[in-house]
Amino acid sequence: MKLHYDADTEAFRAELRAWLQANQPTLEEMRAEPVCSSAHLTGWSRRWQRHLFDAGLLVPGWPPELGGRNLSPVQQLVYHEEMAKTRADRTTNPQGLGIIAPSILDYGSNLLKEKYLLPTLRAERAWCLGMSEPGAGSDLAALSTRAEVHDDRFVVSGQKIWTSGAHHADHCFCFVRTDPDAPKHRGISVLIIDMKAPGVTVRPLPELSKPDHVDFNEVFFDDVVVPRDHLVGNLGEGWSISAGSLAHERGMMWLASAAQLDGTMSRLRELAREQGPDGRRIGERGCIRDAIASLYVDAQAMWFMGYQGFAKVARGQASPEHSVLKLFGSEINQRAVRIATEAQGVAALDVEFEGCGYDDSYGRPPWMTQYLQTYRATISAGTSEIQRNIIAQRVLGLPRR
Amino acid sequence: MDFNITPERQALVESVRSVLAQECPTTLVRDVIENGSAPEQPWRSAHELGWTSIDLPEFLGGLALGFTALGLVIEQHGRFIAPGPFLATITQFLPLVCETGTPEQLERFARPVGAGERTGALAIDHGCAADREPGERLHAHRDGDAWILEGERRFVLDGDVADDVAVAARVDHGDGVGLFVVPQGAAESRRVVALDASRRLAHLRFHGVRIEAGRVLGRPGASALALGRTLDRATVAAALECVGACQTLLEMTIEHAKNRRQFDQPIGAFQAIQHKCADMFVQVEKARATAYFGMMAVAEDDPRRALAASMAKAAASDCERLVCKESIQIHGGMGYTWESDVQLFVKRAKTLEALFGTGEAHRRRIADLLEV
Repeated sequence: MKLHYDADTEAFRAELRAWLQANQPTLEEMRAEPVCSSAHLTGWSRRWQRHLFDAGLLVPGWPPELGGRNLSPVQQLVYHEEMAKTRADRTTNPQGLGIIAPSILDYGSNLLKEKYLLPTLRAERAWCLGMSEPGAGSDLAALSTRAEVHDDRFVVSGQKIWTSGAHHADHCFCFVRTDPDAPKHRGISVLIIDMKAPGVTVRPLPELSKPDHVDFNEVFFDDVVVPRDHLVGNLGEGWSISAGSLAHERGMMWLASAAQLDGTMSRLRELAREQGPDGRRIGERGCIRDAIASLYVDAQAMWFMGYQGFAKVARGQASPEHSVLKLFGSEINQRAVRIATEAQGVAALDVEFEGCGYDDSYGRPPWMTQYLQTYRATISAGTSEIQRNIIAQRVLGLPRR
Repeated sequence: MDFNITPERQALVESVRSVLAQECPTTLVRDVIENGSAPEQPWRSAHELGWTSIDLPEFLGGLALGFTALGLVIEQHGRFIAPGPFLATITQFLPLVCETGTPEQLERFARPVGAGERTGALAIDHGCAADREPGERLHAHRDGDAWILEGERRFVLDGDVADDVAVAARVDHGDGVGLFVVPQGAAESRRVVALDASRRLAHLRFHGVRIEAGRVLGRPGASALALGRTLDRATVAAALECVGACQTLLEMTIEHAKNRRQFDQPIGAFQAIQHKCADMFVQVEKARATAYFGMMAVAEDDPRRALAASMAKAAASDCERLVCKESIQIHGGMGYTWESDVQLFVKRAKTLEALFGTGEAHRRRIADLLEV
């Protein structure tokens, strides 16, 4: 147990940091082309991701031909720590790089790998993930988008919703029911669907914060024809792909969340230096001081728990930290932003803001808008309640109903 | 930040756990509480197995394994709510002596502690502990080579039984802190009817208690740093023992939720119970990770050690509050009884939350350090 890694690891960190600082996109480039959804590849983001790919710094645990350099787990941890400090994320299509590319690598045929893997890694293709449906949110296995199976093709009909980035995506990694008679977890398959195929309709679904804040969409499939060879894995294997694909990079995903929380905390501490509605410095108010100290502890604890989980994984033990960190990080961030709105008082009601509300490199929405947006993290990718169920049942071993 | 526990340390943890499981069942804790017994075994094992000298330098007969090793041992003591002088002697008295003692004083006060021959306590003002201040309730003034103590110290762990009591008092010059080793009996002691009767708490009154020069630690008026550094250790240790006690409460509660049946099913199948248990688990994980950070910061003498100690205590406090509340509640009517062991662990955890500054006091301190 040590606060620092060995000299070799720290030397690697220094080298990496220097590279990232020298090569990351400039703020001007980023502001000139704001990113407006989780599948929006802009000019600068394509160049940046391609640059990382060529340097073997895109998926560092992978071999060079896949944009990596076979880094050890500790070096990968350092990579993600340093990446969290750079101005730009390594991709502006996180589901494409973090979930879909590894799933194609694990489950896809040679044809699919050839056609989609490298182009995705090189930021030439953007993806959305077709999971949730009106009748299948937390209960994903209840999905009912149907794919009729023919010899040479599938014909897909149904509806997805809360599909992030669908309006910017080239392809959908889509979970469909191929066997309506099988038990609900067994009849699901994964298809790669071209978002420009006839019969695909995308309807943006603005967020609660503002009508022009759009990442989610409804996606309608009306007899969409999908070539038979665009099946990922085997027929009926969709549920295990979903479990496998969501597990990708889970080991390090907490770092981004911890870094986000750090960002919230430093802005909250800046806010505390401002004058509040009563004319006093906000940080002088006892309950705000107490809340900030409490949140600071939690934000730091987020890192410590992450490192603790990493140590367990590195020792080959199971780590429950993913659910713990997802639950904890999203709820603490929400609380921190809420405390900021409370500290502002009536001033929090002014929500004038020009940006699209998705990317903050060219300005951050007002605190109250951010507060509404914090529910994205407590609801998506398994709500807080689902995470608590997972912890209770899978970690603590409490019985399922 | 490397949280990996080496196989050697893990082996130490396992051995402490198995010894305490055998020697410190809750029946022994109850015997202390209900019959006032003073079992010698856990303390004897502690020095026979080297736990008392684990963080003591080699020239004093110690193992010099560092504060992380000691911290892991303390956490295990919390899991079994071990009674006895270990916490006060090893994590409160000893560090102050080691921070400040002359070679003669180290031989006189530290070596016998490592050898398990003498016990110690630390008398500070818990109300000012988070701010690392000695407070105004106890003053010291010079009398030739000696010093005179006047005032009181309240809620001193083992204050009426430890062989020596290290005392922090206000002096009227320099940085205002004087440190002294007071022999047992020199102060008038009154045992507190304490929430956790498996641990002794005492109020000490000092009526002009004269301290000879050999029992003055460091230089009065230039001892604030040593007091602060000792409080870092004592605070992190209290947090670790609290985490250990909370871990056991969580495990007892999960077991109960699995076994207790109502409405034809284990109550642990109800989502209301599951979510409470999940939240308890998160708090225990958070408190442990934060206490481990404090432990490493102290062990490595990191610049963040004071902040880290306050964070450890604040996180342990959050954990104590939730885990104690929900473990009694989930145990239902059984949790409300004297016979249930839940109350034993709840009382230990609540005691540790209150000693060396509550969570609230440490959050105040954190806000100061962060210049909020």
